Amino acid sequence: MIRTLEQLLEGVVGGIVTQLNNLLPPLIVAVFLFAVFFVAAVLVRWFLTKAVKGARMDRFLKEMGLSNMLADRGDVHTTPLVAGAAFWMILLVGALIGLSLFNTQLTTRMVEATVFLFPKLVTAGLIMLAGAWLAQFLSRSVLVWTHNEELPAPRRWAAATKVMVMFIAVVAASEVLGFAPHVFFAAFVIVGSGAVLAASLAMGLGGRDAVRRYLESREAAKLDREDEKSLWNHL
Amino acid sequence: MLTGFPRPLQRRKLVKVAVPKNTKQIQSMPAEARQVVDEIRHADIVVGIPSYNNSKTIGHVVRAAHAGLAKYFPSYNGIIINSDGGSKDGTPEVVTQTPMQDSQLLLLNTPMKPVNRLSFPYHGIPGKGSAFRMIFQMASMLDAKACVVVDSDLRSITPEWFDLLIRPVLEGGFDFVAPYYHRHKYDGTITNSIVYPLTRCLYGQRLRQPIGGDFGMSQPLLNRYLERDDWETDVARFGIDIWMTTIAVAEGFKVCQSFLGAKLHDAKDPGADLSAMLQQVTSSVFLLMREYENTWRGRTGSEPAALFGFRYDVGLDPINVNLDRMLTAFRKGAEDLGDVWKLALRPDTLAEVKELARTAKPGDFHLDDELWVRIVYEFACTAKSSRLERATLLKSITPLYLGRVASFVVETAEMGAAEVEHRIERLCLKFEELKPYLINIWFGETPAAAAPPQSSAPGAEQPEQMEV
Ligand SMILES: Nc1nc2c(ncn2[C@@H]2O[C@H](COP(=O)(O)OP(=O)(O)O)[C@@H](O)[C@H]2O)c(=O)[nH]1
Ligand SMILES: [Mg+2]
Repeated sequence: MIRTLEQLLEGVVGGIVTQLNNLLPPLIVAVFLFAVFFVAAVLVRWFLTKAVKGARMDRFLKEMGLSNMLADRGDVHTTPLVAGAAFWMILLVGALIGLSLFNTQLTTRMVEATVFLFPKLVTAGLIMLAGAWLAQFLSRSVLVWTHNEELPAPRRWAAATKVMVMFIAVVAASEVLGFAPHVFFAAFVIVGSGAVLAASLAMGLGGRDAVRRYLESREAAKLDREDEKSLWNHL
Repeated sequence: MLTGFPRPLQRRKLVKVAVPKNTKQIQSMPAEARQVVDEIRHADIVVGIPSYNNSKTIGHVVRAAHAGLAKYFPSYNGIIINSDGGSKDGTPEVVTQTPMQDSQLLLLNTPMKPVNRLSFPYHGIPGKGSAFRMIFQMASMLDAKACVVVDSDLRSITPEWFDLLIRPVLEGGFDFVAPYYHRHKYDGTITNSIVYPLTRCLYGQRLRQPIGGDFGMSQPLLNRYLERDDWETDVARFGIDIWMTTIAVAEGFKVCQSFLGAKLHDAKDPGADLSAMLQQVTSSVFLLMREYENTWRGRTGSEPAALFGFRYDVGLDPINVNLDRMLTAFRKGAEDLGDVWKLALRPDTLAEVKELARTAKPGDFHLDDELWVRIVYEFACTAKSSRLERATLLKSITPLYLGRVASFVVETAEMGAAEVEHRIERLCLKFEELKPYLINIWFGETPAAAAPPQSSAPGAEQPEQMEV
C-alpha cells in the first residue's frame, strides 16, 4: 500500500521534476540573462545620458522644424531620446534571447516574428514621421503662399496639402508592412482621380466663369492698389 | 590720368598682391571691368551707381556726381562706375552719353582731372547687392581712398551730396557715412518700425537711415565687405543696405551720418512684392544678428552718431495710405496664419495679437509699442533657430507689419514731422528697454523667460566684446 503510494508520489514528483528539469534551467537562465541585460541597459542608458552631447542634434532638429512637430513647445532633447531607445533595444534583445532558450515551437515563432517584423515596423514608423514632417512643412508654405497671393481660403489649401501628403505616407507605410496594400492603393487612386474629375467637372460646369471672374476682380484690386503703392515706400 | 599724382609704385603693387588672395572675388568680376582696372590702375574716389531700368533719372544722377566731384574734389582722381543689372531701356547708353552741362563748374575749379564714366553689366545673382559687389571690387583694385554709392532713381540728388558723403571719409577719418534725409512720415515704414529701432538697440549707434541706399565708405571697410562670403544670399538683393550698415557698426568701424535734404526717388515698381521685400530685409537683419550675437549682447543703450551737413526743412510729396486695406490684411493674417505665427510667437503674444485683430476698428486701432517689440524679438529668435522654415516664417510677418503701420498711421494722423520723430524715438526706447527680454529668449538661459520683463533698469556698462 505504502509502496504504491510511494510509487505514485514518485511518479508525480518525477513528472514534475522532469518537467522542471526541462523547463527550469532555461527559465532560470532566461531570468538571469534578462537581469543581466536589464543591468546592461540601465548602465548603457546612464552612460549615454552622460556621454552623448545632443546639443548639435537638438539644434538640427530645431532647424529642421522637427522639434516643433514632436513636442508642442519645441523643446526636444536628443540625449534622453537616444538613451531611451538604446535602453529599450537592449531589453528587447534580452527578452528575445531569453525566449529562444525555451526552444518550444511557440517561443521560436514569437522570436522569429519579432525579428522579422521589427525592421519593417521601424521603416514604416520612419516613413510616417517623414510624412508628418513633410506634410507640416508643405502645408505651412502653402498657407503663407496662398495668403500672400490673396487666393481664397488659404487654410483649406493648407489642410488639403497636409491630408494629401499624409495619405501618401500612409500608403507607403502600409506597403512596407504588407498590410492590405491593394486596398490603400486603390483608395489612393480613387481619391486622386475623383479630385481631378471633380475639379474638371466644376471647371466645365460654369466653374470657369467663376474662376475668370475671380481673376478679374483680383486684377482690378491690384490695379487699384497700384496708385497707392506707387506713393508708398516701405524701405 | 595718373600724372602728377605722387603715389609710390609699391603701393600699387601692394594692391595687386593683395587682391588675388581671394580668387573667388576676381572670378566674379567681368573681364571688361578687369581690363579697365588694369588700364586706369588708380582712382582716389569711386562713385558707384547701381541701376536697373533707370534711364529717365540716371542722367541727372551722373551729372550730379560729375559736378560734385569737379566742384568739391578737383584735385582728386574720380571715377564714376555704373553697374547695370541688364536694363532694357538703354540705361547704360544714357550713362556714357550724358552731356556734362555744368561746364561753368569746371571753369571755376581748375586744374581739373578728367572724371571717367564707365558702365558695366555685372555677373552673379541679379540684384542691387551684386551690382555693389562689382563696384567695390573695382574700387578696391583701384586703391580708392573713398567710395560712394548712390541710387540711380534719385530725383533730389545734388552735387553737395557727394561732398557730404565723401568728405567725412577723406578728411574726417570716418569709415562709413550713412545718409540722413527728411522723409514723409509715412515714407520708409520698414525703416521706422523695424530696421532703425532694431539696429540701434542692438549695436548702440543711432543711424537714422540704415537702409537709405546712399553711402560713403573708406577702403578698409570696402575690403572688409569683399572678404566676406555671404554675397550670394539675400544680401545680393534688398538686404545689401542693412548688411553694409550692420557690418560697419557691429565691427566697430567709425560711422557718421550726413544730412542730404529730401529723398525724392522713383516710385517702387508696383509689382514689387512687399512680403518678399520684407523677407529679404528681415532675414538679412536676423542672420547678421546671429553672427554678431556676442557683440550686441554686451551693448546697452545707444549713442547718437555724428551728423554732418546743414539741416533744413523741406517740402515733401504727400503720401496716401489706405488704412482699411492695411487693417483688413492684419485681420485676415490673424485668421489664416495663426499656425505659422505660433512657431514664432509665444502663446501670450499670439493671444494678444489675435484679440487685437478680433476687435480691430479703423478709428482707434492701436498696436502697442511693447507688443510690437515682442513680436519682432520673438520672430528674430525663431528665425535664428529654424533654418528650413525661415523664409516661410518671415513671409508671414507682412500682416503683422501692416497692422503696426496701421496703428502708426492712426496715431500720427494729426502729427507734424517733429512729433512723429518723437514717436519713433519712443519706440526705439521701448526696443532698448526690452533688450534684456531679447537676450533671455535668444540665448535661452532662463527657462522662465516666457514672461516678458515689464521694466528693467539699465545695467552696468559691460565691456564690449568685439571678437566675432
Ligand atoms: N544693378 C541693379 N540695380 C538695381 C537692381 N534693383 C534695384 N537696383 C538699383 O538699386 C537702387 C535702389 O533701388 P530702389 O528700387 O529704388 O529701392 P529703394 O529706393 O531702396 O526702395 C536703384 O538705383 C536701382 O536702380 C538690380 O536688380 N540690379
Ligand atoms: Mg529708390
